[in-house]
Amino acid sequence: MKRYKAYDPPEYVSWELDPEELERFDATLAADPARKAVIDALDNDALLGLYTALVRARLHDVHLKRWVKNGVITKAWLATGEEAVTVGSTLALDRRGPDGDVVGPMIRNASACLEMGIPLEQMFGAYLAVDTTPCRGRDIHIGDLAHGVIAPVSHVGSLMPVMVGCALGFKMKREPRVAMTWVGDGASKNGEFHEGANFAAALGLPVVTFIQNNQVALGTPTSQHNKGAFPAFADAYGMPGAVVDGNNVLDVYAASKLAVDRARAGDGPTLLVAETFRMGGHATHDEREARELFAPDVFAAWGKRDPVGVFEAWLMERGVPSSTLSTLEGEVDAALEAAAATALSGRASAQPDPGDLLEGIYA
Amino acid sequence: MTERTYIEAIRDALDYEMRRDDRVFLLGEDIGAYGGAFKLTAGMQDEFGTERVLDTPLSEAAIVGAAIGAAYMGMRPVAEMQFIDFITCCFQMITNFAAKSHWRWGAAVPIVIRGPAGGGVGGGPFHSQNVEAYFHHTPGLKIVMPATAADAKGLLIAAIRDPNPVLFLEHKFLYRHIKGEVPDGEHVVELGTAAVAREGTDLSVVTYGAMVHRACAVAQQLRDADGVSVEVIDLRTLKPVDYDTVYASVRKTNKVIVLHEDQLTGGIGGEIAARIGEDVFEWLDGPVVRMGAADTPVPYAHPLEHAFQPNEDRLREACRKLLAY
Repeated sequence: MKRYKAYDPPEYVSWELDPEELERFDATLAADPARKAVIDALDNDALLGLYTALVRARLHDVHLKRWVKNGVITKAWLATGEEAVTVGSTLALDRRGPDGDVVGPMIRNASACLEMGIPLEQMFGAYLAVDTTPCRGRDIHIGDLAHGVIAPVSHVGSLMPVMVGCALGFKMKREPRVAMTWVGDGASKNGEFHEGANFAAALGLPVVTFIQNNQVALGTPTSQHNKGAFPAFADAYGMPGAVVDGNNVLDVYAASKLAVDRARAGDGPTLLVAETFRMGGHATHDEREARELFAPDVFAAWGKRDPVGVFEAWLMERGVPSSTLSTLEGEVDAALEAAAATALSGRASAQPDPGDLLEGIYA
Repeated sequence: MTERTYIEAIRDALDYEMRRDDRVFLLGEDIGAYGGAFKLTAGMQDEFGTERVLDTPLSEAAIVGAAIGAAYMGMRPVAEMQFIDFITCCFQMITNFAAKSHWRWGAAVPIVIRGPAGGGVGGGPFHSQNVEAYFHHTPGLKIVMPATAADAKGLLIAAIRDPNPVLFLEHKFLYRHIKGEVPDGEHVVELGTAAVAREGTDLSVVTYGAMVHRACAVAQQLRDADGVSVEVIDLRTLKPVDYDTVYASVRKTNKVIVLHEDQLTGGIGGEIAARIGEDVFEWLDGPVVRMGAADTPVPYAHPLEHAFQPNEDRLREACRKLLAY
């Protein structure tokens, strides 16, 4: 895909395929027969759907970075390097809308909102604090029950018991629906996460949870705040668990699909651990500090594993013409460009009315 | 009408709503086969099953979080805090997730969080607290505390049907100490409406919960001993407060004491007193007086708790002092 000198991390700007990364990608896919069967069943459209969503996630963030650079907004919380975790898992869900599955994304899982169907214009509008999104300029966190998206609060970890509650509702109503959420390595230290995980296991609820270990909690590397093994958590709660390569969208998808199918069949929750790496800052304001948290060779190693670049190479190796991929990329970029432009041009006329401040405190 | 204790009236409300609406379910610690710490839900699991009378892990944040999520998906959860003191363990889920949800992104959270509050039973610092002030500050919540058996039923039914998160504070001393005639079947007391518990003309005591009974006892003593007429207002809903009823009483008596069992400093009496001072100042013939518990944790020993709580002696003297002002 096109690289953006002004917005991509340097490892992505100069990215070239390291053949060893393609071997690693293939070896991961071959390692687990159950996951391999899921991947082998994907047709070309499904594979290109995953590619398109990955590109959408990356370019959505590029557009936000452009806005930050141009002074349109002051900061943005991005998923650079971690896109495959959200995309692979969300695309394993039933995304039909209000009667389908539900997600509880952290702000860094914005692509879950995109793929669940929240319009691009609203995603940009939420950052612009306009009145024409479900959050109406009152909060930057977006959610919409019509698209199965629960809006997060900034208290990471709190989504866990709420998504468990959604799953409890599904179980009580005998609806074959699934709830999915993500916590960072940081939020995995939060009491609400643990309470929710145990509650889900104790009651056998249809919820699929990711610990998205991007190796850093804001400004503290995981190695400093965590001594235990994330994969051991599932056993401790008494639910199935597995580790996925968080930079391999197919591995994430396959493991998610297996967990979602189990949940939908009434076989309870799953805790998946996705190992990945945050290539940017906690948000756009602290990228310099973030670069100082790890040695350059750590960025170099994870940079080679760009989830978009390696998957692109994998698709081309399977015979997908690069022109097909660049056409899809162009379509995604054009849609994002149009949505961003519409949101921005409508900003002045869509300012929230201070006269509405007190409206909606109570339902 | 049936004569019921306060706790029986609460149980009657739960039974009635569970039978009326299959979206309503209970979740909490030990509420199933064990029947709850106060046996309030004894036998309910036999009738409604293990799903609708759901025993949970000892995880208050997960209990409230699960209630929120289930409510988003169309259920009407009623979550129990075994003692309301434990609500501090889920403060964040209530104040940030539940309370802000509708204003923040339009998603209503129709849940009730109920449990035994208040002291006078030797429960000590962690089984006797009044928690309303912690939550009165938070937009989006409703807070209810009934003083009578009939109101306990009618307010709980209204709380379950309300589309907002409602904290339903039950006074544990009243559970089996008071009884009254309770309407059978449908009985709804609208949230946000105070009641005149005892009519009077010389002084108003604005209060709620168990203190309503203490205030009415003092009003009778002052009638008998001094021939004065004290009006007692039972707020019933603590958020939003029915200021119309409070102000109407102040305009009639021109003197007011705001009384609560909770600690004085930072208690909701301060907010109510301030509003009276701002809005009906011209009708006042004396200072707005607040009375609450001592600014200490709730003590365990009986003599200490007696001294801690606003008691009849202190209230009677405060009334006399204000009447003489």
